[in-house]
Amino acid sequence: MKVLKLTPERCTGCLRCEIACSYMQTGAYQPAKSVIRVSPFEGHTSYAPYTCTQCAEGWCMTACPVGAITINGAGAKDVVDDQCVGCKLCTIACPYGTMFYDTGTRKAFKCNLCGGDPACAHACPTAAIEYVEAATEDWIGPFAHERVEYVLAAEGAR
Amino acid sequence: MPRRHLIIGGGTAGMNAMRTIREEEREPSEITLVSAERPYSRMVLPYYLDRSIAENHVYTATAANLAAWKVKALIGRRVTALDTQAHAATLDDGARVEYDDCLIATGSSAARAPVPGADGRAVHSFWTLEEARGVLTSVTPGAHVVMVGAGFISFTILNSILSLGAKLTVVELAPRILPRMVDTAGAELVERWLEAHGVSVRTNVKLAKIEDVKGRKRLSFSSGPAITADAVIMATGIRTNLEWLKGSGVKTNRAVVVDDHLRSSVPNVYAAGDVAEGRDLISGQPAVHAIEPTAQEHGRVAGANMAGKDVRYRGSLIINIVEVCHLDAASFGAWDDERAEAMSATKRDRNAYRKLLFTGDRLTGAIIIGRSNDIWTTNDVGMLKGLVQSGQPLGRYKEHLRRNPFDVKTAFVAARTTSTLLPETVLGRPSMAPGDTPVAV
Repeated sequence: MKVLKLTPERCTGCLRCEIACSYMQTGAYQPAKSVIRVSPFEGHTSYAPYTCTQCAEGWCMTACPVGAITINGAGAKDVVDDQCVGCKLCTIACPYGTMFYDTGTRKAFKCNLCGGDPACAHACPTAAIEYVEAATEDWIGPFAHERVEYVLAAEGAR
Repeated sequence: MPRRHLIIGGGTAGMNAMRTIREEEREPSEITLVSAERPYSRMVLPYYLDRSIAENHVYTATAANLAAWKVKALIGRRVTALDTQAHAATLDDGARVEYDDCLIATGSSAARAPVPGADGRAVHSFWTLEEARGVLTSVTPGAHVVMVGAGFISFTILNSILSLGAKLTVVELAPRILPRMVDTAGAELVERWLEAHGVSVRTNVKLAKIEDVKGRKRLSFSSGPAITADAVIMATGIRTNLEWLKGSGVKTNRAVVVDDHLRSSVPNVYAAGDVAEGRDLISGQPAVHAIEPTAQEHGRVAGANMAGKDVRYRGSLIINIVEVCHLDAASFGAWDDERAEAMSATKRDRNAYRKLLFTGDRLTGAIIIGRSNDIWTTNDVGMLKGLVQSGQPLGRYKEHLRRNPFDVKTAFVAARTTSTLLPETVLGRPSMAPGDTPVAV
């Protein structure tokens, strides 16, 4: 399956992915509505995008009491809007924190790989986000670990 | 002869077991479902109550679905006795169903406070679809509704009652609201929020009786003034549907005692959901959670084992979330563990609260409260669940969280929690989409 491969070392924090994502997902150019999120590290000197891993369990999908989360043609877990009632069970079931809830529509939403043509990967100018055939992995963990450890060590935290 | 599975109860546990049997089995089997009600999801009843969905949206299987899955559905029937020696169940119409293995998934029922008038006119429970229909007729614009009990169930329908234009008073026996979901500081924040949104809250009050006075309901308490209302909703707890198992030989404690394969004391009898007492993931002790996610996981693990797989269950994690007037409150795991090391913080201006409970350097419980339109509330809800579920050692990120209890993502990501979580599945394989349950095997 093709996945979003994230290479945080290449991320410049430009937020184009968030803008493209929010437009594809909700029709608004509004990073707050993006389901890929860029976080700063080391006091805004490095950045990493973070989004749904399309995990094997699909905790959101198995938790949904009305079967409103399914697997789309791209292999992504996808919320079927007509079926979602907005109970938020998926938001507490997802252990990665990659479910979102729209207070306007009262429905959950998440990364659905744009059905197989993810806007974030197109928008990324540095190939920090690529849509490629790969096994999913913890793309940003080691990067974040190194940077946060460094900062915490400097703070003297033990 | 094909193996004969009997599923007793068509709620979340039963339906998940049924679908998993069809997903896992290598040879065709017979499935009989005995369910007192047509299968529906209790979780979505609040949305039926506020009329945001139609009644047909609550059902989890149509007759056509059940036929496609080759399930012999005996709807409207109850099992009255289980003969575990003869491997047969007796139904309320006298019919007898023989089985090779059986799943007890009879769930629980609403319990009412034992006071005079508790079974009177315009006094409702909100647990079954039938009860939801009753509440729907009682809650009208301008009506004064009193909710007895400030627990999870009453909070799931609080928004619905307000959106129907009713005036709401919540009364609770315990000293605080949501006593089994959040701590005192969290409850105070939610209570202030509710009062600010026009909901009256009275805690520490014991209901004494409910009377009919001039066509309205009057609720009297052991202390404080009486309340006059148009309708009363009793959300005073639930009880496990176990009575029919008397004499069956199936061992029960607070519910049916099950092992790590969801098997009861009788090897070919399984139990799942509210009626099962299984392992709690955090404490490792037997527990009755009576929550939807536990019923779902129990049902799937039981179904896989009934289909001949060997699936061991790690245990269930308590997870709860309610939204009241656009404020989310959620808790995970052992959020009330007094032996844990607790750290908490409040952002009053944003009505946000976090409490993190550590055992060593692992997060074993958490409470999170925040506004629904605060994106980080929703994302942190998931990451806190992931930290508790994975038991990821947090090392020095624990100290980071002590200083910055709202910076959950940094700790989650940098501790490489994702790499621990990715291989985790309930059934030891990728899950199937709900629409992909094999038909006509």
